[in-house]
Amino acid sequence: MTIALGVRRVGFWWYMTAGAALLVTFAAVGLYRGSVPLDPADVIAVLARRLLPGEHGAVDPRVDTIVWSLRAPRVVLAAMVGGCLALAGAQMQGLFRNPLASPGIVGTSTGAAVGAVFALTFGLAGAFLLAAPLLAVGGALVSLLIVTRIATRDGYTPVTTLLLAGVALNALLGAVNSWLIARSWEQYEAARQIAYWMMGGVTDRDWRHVGMLLPGMVVGCVVAAWFARDLDLLLEGEEVAASLGVDIERTKRAVLWSAAILTGSAVAVSGVVGFVGLVVPHLVRLLLGPVHRQLLPAAFLTGAWFVVGADLLARTLAAPREVHLGVVTAFVGAPFFLYLLMRHEKEVAVSR
Amino acid sequence: MTAASGSALRAPRLELVGGGVERRGRWLLRGVDLVIEPSMLTSVVGPNGAGKSTLLRLLSGTWRLTEGQVLLGGFDLAALPRRQAARRVAYVPQSVRPAFEFTVREFVTLGRYPHESRLFGTRSADRGWIDRCLDDTDVLALADRRVTTLSGGELQRVLMARCLATEAEVLLLDEPTSNLDLAHGLDLLGLARRLVDEGRSVVLVLHDLNAAARFADRVAVLDGGGLVAEGPPSEVLAPELVRHVFRVEAVALPGAASTVFDFEPLARSDLPGSAGRTGPAPGARDRAHRVAREDSSGAASRTR
Repeated sequence: MTIALGVRRVGFWWYMTAGAALLVTFAAVGLYRGSVPLDPADVIAVLARRLLPGEHGAVDPRVDTIVWSLRAPRVVLAAMVGGCLALAGAQMQGLFRNPLASPGIVGTSTGAAVGAVFALTFGLAGAFLLAAPLLAVGGALVSLLIVTRIATRDGYTPVTTLLLAGVALNALLGAVNSWLIARSWEQYEAARQIAYWMMGGVTDRDWRHVGMLLPGMVVGCVVAAWFARDLDLLLEGEEVAASLGVDIERTKRAVLWSAAILTGSAVAVSGVVGFVGLVVPHLVRLLLGPVHRQLLPAAFLTGAWFVVGADLLARTLAAPREVHLGVVTAFVGAPFFLYLLMRHEKEVAVSR
Repeated sequence: MTAASGSALRAPRLELVGGGVERRGRWLLRGVDLVIEPSMLTSVVGPNGAGKSTLLRLLSGTWRLTEGQVLLGGFDLAALPRRQAARRVAYVPQSVRPAFEFTVREFVTLGRYPHESRLFGTRSADRGWIDRCLDDTDVLALADRRVTTLSGGELQRVLMARCLATEAEVLLLDEPTSNLDLAHGLDLLGLARRLVDEGRSVVLVLHDLNAAARFADRVAVLDGGGLVAEGPPSEVLAPELVRHVFRVEAVALPGAASTVFDFEPLARSDLPGSAGRTGPAPGARDRAHRVAREDSSGAASRTR
């Protein structure tokens, strides 16, 4: 019984410091690297002019546009999307007591996809910039509403029923999506947009997209933080949690809605970025343990630097062409997840 | 351990009045009137499926009653906010292996939930109290171990520590000795006895009637979802009742300080009916309710 399970734990503040350093590094490289080569000094000058108060020297307006209007929103959005997805994934894994749960497990990301595809197919997105993101968030929330309605009896929502209803709705919405895509096949432009959107990415996003994600992110994070401790107790089962004073149904509802808002908003601005919400919380739990007061912020930060890093790879791997972000996260995330799984299995076997 | 306040604890009276639970059309427990006397060690005994676990879930307030009421110090437990109830009544279900890798200290700290503030979480006063709970159940040395690596005896003591961490005055423990060897089992019962002597009420579900007779102040006997008898062990645990409820022949051994039984299976000819399963025991016989045995799957356990 002396063999410790899992990876040895890492100190929370060490982990957060390292994560913050990685995020800053990746963000800096993200501002500097791109299809147009820039002088690092120019990048710093632009940032100083934009962020620091007081008078600053003149900057080439072309450089200013590239750094501040093209690359900065992209980096910021990548960090926000990664953070939201990882946080929502951590919440779902806690709620379902299952490290294989992903942010969209109750149908929210497929619902968001249907909303966005609908907007793109019927040309609403072209007419109105906010149409696709708004319909995506709406799709996520309506999906959750349907799933919880199906799974709730007498004010009680068993998580297993919730999970099964989510799986069923995911399949149904996936079919709706395919049908919408198939009927838009002749419209080349819409089909291309949909295909790109399904692969996920933060290409050609500007500060308006950051603004769209921000409210959902803030609301989701606040609710997640407020119910972090309740998730710790839920890990021990509903009976134990209830006996220790947790309001089980209220916690479930709060966690589900906050994860749906986070997932829906992220999918709305970036499309379907896979694997972040599954791998990142799992990794962080291995390193820091299951206490959500640490797990949730650490997952957010890790998701942030992971996606900023992945986006960096996405635009440099095959430069000047871009690989799609969702492709990169899956390419990095899936093998890493398998590695964790195999390693963990081995340790479990040894400890028996 | 002295009480959190430093003065002697006085546990509130916990009372089940006409308690009944129906699940999927079957009554797991019905018409039970039971008082858990303050500062007493009450042992709940009964054959498998008698409703012992259900009784504890009702008393802890984690299950809603279909009929009847649970009164804590005279007040309706269901009307009390969950956190407040959790500060007064602690409940440890039958041991389930923990699935997540909390350290022992983190695991025991979960018991502080009803006292924690949402904004600031665990405070240093909480941490001091956790140390005392760990020390008192003799698991301080395990504080940094993962709960997933503990042996059955260690886990049971850690669960006791978590129970103490709540500072509840009424402790409800479902088969706390079931996974323990003799020495650890006796240790745990000794700990329970000590907690009672400090003023807490402790309710234990036990299968060992001799342990119940030796350690408990009161014994409540359940059978077929009804309360058959309740009182001091010397009065309740008579060979005739044991024979009726547990379907074993009990022979009191002479010379022991408390009643000690030796058990023999009933001869086939003594079994009433051919199915082997007796009808309700005396006292429960006049109950008209159709009471089903407890659903052992537990999958549908509904918490409030």
